[in-house]
Amino acid sequence: MESESYVTDRSIATAVFLASTLGKPLLVEGHPGVGKTDIAKVLARVRDTDLIRLQCYEGLDATTALYEWNYPRQLLHIKLHEAHGDDPNATEASLFSDRFLLKRPLLAAIAHKGKPPVLLIDEVDRSDEEFEAFLLEILSDFQVTIPELGTIRAEVKPLVVLTSNRSRELSEALRRRCLYLWIDYPTLEKELRIVRTKVPEANEQLAREISAFMQTLRRISLVKSPGLSETLDWAMALVALHADHLDQELVRETLGCVLKDEADLRRVGEQLDQGKLSEMIGLVA
Amino acid sequence: MSSSLVRSVVAFCRVLRARGVPVTAAESLDAVRAVVAVDVSDREDVRNALRAVLTTSHQDLAIFDDLFDAFWHTRSGPDAVPGRSHVRSTRPPNAESQTSRVSLENWMRKGESSDEVVQVRQASTLEASAQRDLVNLAAGDQEDIDRLARRIARRMALKPSRRWRARPRGRRIDLRRTMRSLLRTGGDAAILARRERIIRRTRLVVLCDVSGSMELYARLLLRFVHALQNAFARVETFVFSTRLTRVTPFFRRASYAQALGAMGEHVRDFSGGTKIGEALAAFADGWPELLDSRTVVLVLSDGWDTGEPRMVDEALTRIARRAGRVVWLNPLMGSPDFSPETRAMRAAMPHVDVLASAHNVESLQALARHLVL
Repeated sequence: MESESYVTDRSIATAVFLASTLGKPLLVEGHPGVGKTDIAKVLARVRDTDLIRLQCYEGLDATTALYEWNYPRQLLHIKLHEAHGDDPNATEASLFSDRFLLKRPLLAAIAHKGKPPVLLIDEVDRSDEEFEAFLLEILSDFQVTIPELGTIRAEVKPLVVLTSNRSRELSEALRRRCLYLWIDYPTLEKELRIVRTKVPEANEQLAREISAFMQTLRRISLVKSPGLSETLDWAMALVALHADHLDQELVRETLGCVLKDEADLRRVGEQLDQGKLSEMIGLVA
Repeated sequence: MSSSLVRSVVAFCRVLRARGVPVTAAESLDAVRAVVAVDVSDREDVRNALRAVLTTSHQDLAIFDDLFDAFWHTRSGPDAVPGRSHVRSTRPPNAESQTSRVSLENWMRKGESSDEVVQVRQASTLEASAQRDLVNLAAGDQEDIDRLARRIARRMALKPSRRWRARPRGRRIDLRRTMRSLLRTGGDAAILARRERIIRRTRLVVLCDVSGSMELYARLLLRFVHALQNAFARVETFVFSTRLTRVTPFFRRASYAQALGAMGEHVRDFSGGTKIGEALAAFADGWPELLDSRTVVLVLSDGWDTGEPRMVDEALTRIARRAGRVVWLNPLMGSPDFSPETRAMRAAMPHVDVLASAHNVESLQALARHLVL
């Protein structure tokens, strides 16, 4: 995974390894912006296979996630056959075949040929309970019954990664079915390595100061604690400004990359005004 | 793999179960498979592997790490194979492994004899927190309230109706309308008519009594209402004691403390006397546009009124006629010998669809179903 510039630690690596060895779905939870979704992306790249992504949202239902018939095309098909005066029975038989089937992510993952794909079910906590129950069924059997076509069974079992921001408790049944991985905010060392890997343009001092500052921020109780993606955004912004170290002025101007809440901005701003910057990046020493 | 390792993994699962982490037989099996898949001689690998299989939520992690350390308590060293720590060792037992075995046996005994008891205790502490009066709310409960509010808010915003409406980009094909349009063209150039379920949004109007007798409950219900409003825009909040004040704008603040602060500046009679009837009438007169069949009116009051009960009756008649539902929350219902005996309460009862309590998190949970029309 490290070769795909995803800085990992052993708990992540072990969980991912087990998910593929035991063939169980992997449920990843953690604060926003710690790289949950990236696990699936990197996994697909490492295994050199397709990534099929299902983004969950409120009101997502089974048809949208599974399959739909391409009605306009079917109608067109009927018209064409009519024009040729074809046998209506033959027309009907051809109507519900593979080529009129629009495969949505779940069916696409099941019907996938070749190498097992990675199926990413993103932010599963945003879907509702009914969809979760439906998902459970799919994840246990990897087969779908389409009334007109019959049952489609997965030839190769896809590797499933689910992510959740814990906006709602997932059902115990779904949790049981999955391996569980909790990704915490990174340690200083890990964060530093990530900054070095992802933003190599930042010099050593800047990278260290950024990481230390972020670590301090997460220790203050904020409305929205910044994640890793904020760290990287900020690092890139600072590099674009040709910064080689942090000073009070610079931090003030670019703090919007890191803090996305007005009250937080004010709070950290006050601390900066009191000249606490060196204290906040003091972890480096 | 060695049978002793299998045995110790299974034993570890039992220990986890005893501490309230529900581990099923299927998971024990997976745990064994997982340990085989990784490097058994590496303690961290084993820990990570077992953790992935045996935990199912963030809350389990601390218990797991705790137990893992206690269970596989071994001297660090190349031969510190986890599976061996408690299997009768061939080496002469030193002091350290002795203690580890003792502590382990303790765990095991716990696992065998008091399995049920531990489970029950777990459930009852949870229950206790749900039943604890909102007055003594702990910090963790605040999180529960927030989560509950988000869930209810979603239901309120997204309740699908049984009715359909035509929508060009709807999810389902509207067969009837498609056929109609085909008639017009004689079957050519088919445009598919689509339809979708109507989403029925519920509006919530909260009328909250902030008089002296209600102070504590009001603060906590407002906490809940604040969380609701943050998750869902269609909430209107009013507070009253002797007069009615609309506080919806103050509740748009990010934090509850700020909202309370702003409210304190504008609501002068916070924690004063109560005139329920006048407040209700002021609402019905002043904000008639907020009342329609999609509105749930939520009144929080204990019914201790210094005004005329006749006014409560009149005002509530008008409100109930136009609102979809009137819910009256009375925190006193939490006490077992409650009956709606105050004069204002008796005047209100004929117009109230739901009378519920609101004295703890559990009762707020029960409230959820009344808030969605």
